[in-house]
Amino acid sequence: MSLFGSMNRMVTITINKNQYLAEEGEIFLLTAMRLNIDIPHLCYEKALEPYGACRLCMVDLVTCGKTTMTPACTIKVHNGLEILTDTPQIIKHRNLLFELYLAEAPKSEVIREMAAKYGVKKTRFLKKIVHEDPLLGKCILCGLCVRVCTEIMGTCAINFINRGPYTVINTPFFEQNPDCAGCAACAQVCPTKAIVFEDRDAERVMQSWSGTTVPLATCSSCKKSFAPEKLMHKVLDKLDPAIIEEIKSLCPECRRQHITRKVIRKVPKS
Amino acid sequence: MRIQTSEDLDSIRKRGLQKIQPGRPRIGVGTSSCGIAVGGIALYNRMHKIIQMKNLDISLVKTGCIGFCKEEPIVSVNIPGKALVLLRKVQEDDAERIISLALEGDVPSDLVLCKISDWDHITGNLVYGNGFDTIPEYGEIPFFAHQKKVILRDSGLINPEDIDEYIGIGGYSAAYQALTSMEPDTIIDEVKKSGLRGRGGAGFPAGLKWEITKKAPGEEKYIVCNADEGDPGAYMNRNEMESDPHMLLEGMLIGAFAMGVHEGLIYIRAEYPLAIERLMLALDQARTYGLLGKNIFNTGFDCDIRIATGAGAFVCGESTALAASIEGKTGRPRLRPPRLTEKGVFGKPTDLNNVETWCNVPVIIAKGALWYSSIGAKGNTGTKVFSLVGKVDNIGMVEVPLGTSLHSIIYDIGNGGAQGKEVKAVQTGGPSGGCIPVRLFDTPVDFESLNQVGTMMGSGGLVVMDEDTNMVDIARYFINFASGESCGKCVPCREGLKHMLLILNRIIAGKGTREDLDLLRELADTVQKTSLCGLGQTAPNPVLTTMQYFKEEYDALISSEA
Amino acid sequence: MDEKTLDGIIEKYPYPAGRTLGILREIQLQERHIPMDTLKLVSVKLEVPLSELFALVTFYSFFSLKPVGEHLITVCMGTPCHVKGAEKILETLQGHLGLSGDTQDGKYLQTTPDNLFTVEIARCFGACSMAPVLHVDGDLHGYVTPERIPDILEIYGWKR
Repeated sequence: MSLFGSMNRMVTITINKNQYLAEEGEIFLLTAMRLNIDIPHLCYEKALEPYGACRLCMVDLVTCGKTTMTPACTIKVHNGLEILTDTPQIIKHRNLLFELYLAEAPKSEVIREMAAKYGVKKTRFLKKIVHEDPLLGKCILCGLCVRVCTEIMGTCAINFINRGPYTVINTPFFEQNPDCAGCAACAQVCPTKAIVFEDRDAERVMQSWSGTTVPLATCSSCKKSFAPEKLMHKVLDKLDPAIIEEIKSLCPECRRQHITRKVIRKVPKS
Repeated sequence: MRIQTSEDLDSIRKRGLQKIQPGRPRIGVGTSSCGIAVGGIALYNRMHKIIQMKNLDISLVKTGCIGFCKEEPIVSVNIPGKALVLLRKVQEDDAERIISLALEGDVPSDLVLCKISDWDHITGNLVYGNGFDTIPEYGEIPFFAHQKKVILRDSGLINPEDIDEYIGIGGYSAAYQALTSMEPDTIIDEVKKSGLRGRGGAGFPAGLKWEITKKAPGEEKYIVCNADEGDPGAYMNRNEMESDPHMLLEGMLIGAFAMGVHEGLIYIRAEYPLAIERLMLALDQARTYGLLGKNIFNTGFDCDIRIATGAGAFVCGESTALAASIEGKTGRPRLRPPRLTEKGVFGKPTDLNNVETWCNVPVIIAKGALWYSSIGAKGNTGTKVFSLVGKVDNIGMVEVPLGTSLHSIIYDIGNGGAQGKEVKAVQTGGPSGGCIPVRLFDTPVDFESLNQVGTMMGSGGLVVMDEDTNMVDIARYFINFASGESCGKCVPCREGLKHMLLILNRIIAGKGTREDLDLLRELADTVQKTSLCGLGQTAPNPVLTTMQYFKEEYDALISSEA
Repeated sequence: MDEKTLDGIIEKYPYPAGRTLGILREIQLQERHIPMDTLKLVSVKLEVPLSELFALVTFYSFFSLKPVGEHLITVCMGTPCHVKGAEKILETLQGHLGLSGDTQDGKYLQTTPDNLFTVEIARCFGACSMAPVLHVDGDLHGYVTPERIPDILEIYGWKR
């Protein structure tokens, strides 16, 4: 075992003709980020398997003098890995992809700023007409919300609907979906901040998801609504039943106070 | 009964031959989808009624498709001891006289297409006899003369709904030989030596794929047949399954044994109801004979094959999307590697081959790699079936050795343009392929040569265009198709193709500019280079090839406005 | 579709490979569309989230969520039919029946207000030698020209 505990072997890789040390087996996109080598990306999330859909992180992978365009999120670091991140080819294709994104999500500031950072200020393509779009003309279909909902939360409340250029993300039949726990992990993970929801009194309304409404739990101590009931039960189910009884009706703030008081009582006086 | 020994197989074989040559007149009606579409079933029913009502001594069967679509419905008449005669464009009202002439040992001369005195089924030879001196032989008809029937050797001649007839002309003898007297590795070696390459379009060596699957760790594995033929204008696989389903099952059985796999799946389009029906029937018959199931040929080897239906998604031709679809998911391709041979259906190692690839296997085993590799060209052995359609005179399914020139297919077999029009180009490879102009018709049809001219083999559609065809419109047609079939996962394919279509619409409407042409080319390049899977990577080909070979047609649309 | 019929279909698919799409295919064939209630029932019975099933039926073109009219017209849009003028055929049909060429979800399926006709498109049904072709309730009509379309429609009760 190395000095760094469970860390993998360090190997030498070449990025844009410069040599670096990197951890073997790491996803190259993460390596590059750590080394402050800029590669734009939209659909990668550490907690999920690489998806490779946004195509922005494409780099040139050099093998035996030949280059192949490959998404950086799919490359694993190995000794002698050679990557070019800013060849004229890469820049050309990346810029055109930005133009496509600008047309697809014309209302997204994130996309606009990201594209501008790479020198793309306008698109030559017809912009999508945004009309009553539950995702506000900001969705780029990276699928992070669907993947988080399904793979991490195990809920599968939303999904892709239709295919090709008609693809959208929403609930089945565009109806309120009782499967939704209201965790809002989808909104959290969305790179373009397209997903909207609102907490009103004792309810959370997922406006982007056909107005799916979930009840919020109300704290028995301070009477404030705090988390979606379903989500709370999901979390509580994983705890010791004795503790659940004590804290199940408390909001996180009151819960903290309750536990703190208990701990203080237990501390022996010196 | 279960077939366990070679004697068992022999006795069924004799019974099958008895059915094909029953010692009384036999009439076969072409009833594949194409035959049915032009009245084959109605014709069959009419004949059936007449024969039943009059209690006539005639054997009437449904046969598959002999491939000459232009002449459908095609009926075969075999008088015992005489050559088999093919009749063309038979109408329902012809039923009565065909039957009564057959009873007299004759055929209606006005409907005659040609005769077959003897036929090489490759796994067996059939002699029909002589007679009908004035009728031309099969080999004298230009449409047939330049073909080499290996895959289509039984098509249109045997009854696809009766396993006995397939066994009658030597079917399942290759499987018997493979399972009872060959080592699995020897079979794989034989397939490797034959040079067989994947017929789905990419041309990957089949034997090598088998070997990789076999060596992949894990006990549970799958073999899968890709029968999700999605090219608009290609229907070879459908006809292969409808006309000779057991050829496919036998190929898969041999493959399963060679790879040590016990579960086979046929992934077939829901839009092919007749092929599904005939495959289901074939599977039942094979199970009844013990050719599928437990302890096949008493060797201890178990294998079953089941059907999984697709539901209309061209992208499911992509291997990872296909696997997802079988699992009941949407067909969105995932990143590769891992390949299917490592992580396929339900995460198990999976060997995926096209219908026609599997269909090649029985003859390779029956006749040997040496025999097989003598057909076709070096590095491109064997034959390939094409659907020759569009504005060509002789529309049909044709099978030629790989390496045959486009010229030979379109002019020698196809007889050039329909209604005397001048042929301008041919589109190969469907939406992933490109349009080849007449001046390049010397190009041999093989995997590499087609790539060199900017198109690809694909699954085998050949759509002929003539002087009236607008090539920009063709490009738009294919982009419209590909865009509608895009899964929508990655942005170049989802958005890029959509905008290519919008630009093409603009150009065709006469509102395009020079800048539009440049943008179209630029976008085509990016879609090709940055798409996640083969669909997007190849979708710009029709645009790129028409822009390369028919630039003047684009220019004409631009300048007309300016 | 009633529960018993659905159970009967589900029973035919004991193996996981091809199960979900196979079941949906049979529902589509029997009902000529996928009714919402049936899909919800399938979700419960197969223990597959509804959002996943909805993703399937909207992804694959074989399925349709909208019921079809009395007569179903399928226009072949395969390449061979296209080069022989299938687009004109479709446009003419739309004109006579007062249907639009638009689609909201990428699938083309339009029904006349009187529910007499539904028009859909398909890719190649193998009658290429008679291109352009169309089906009405499974009956094939070949060598179709825009001029012949009113005659074809009249067979099925359309009035000029």
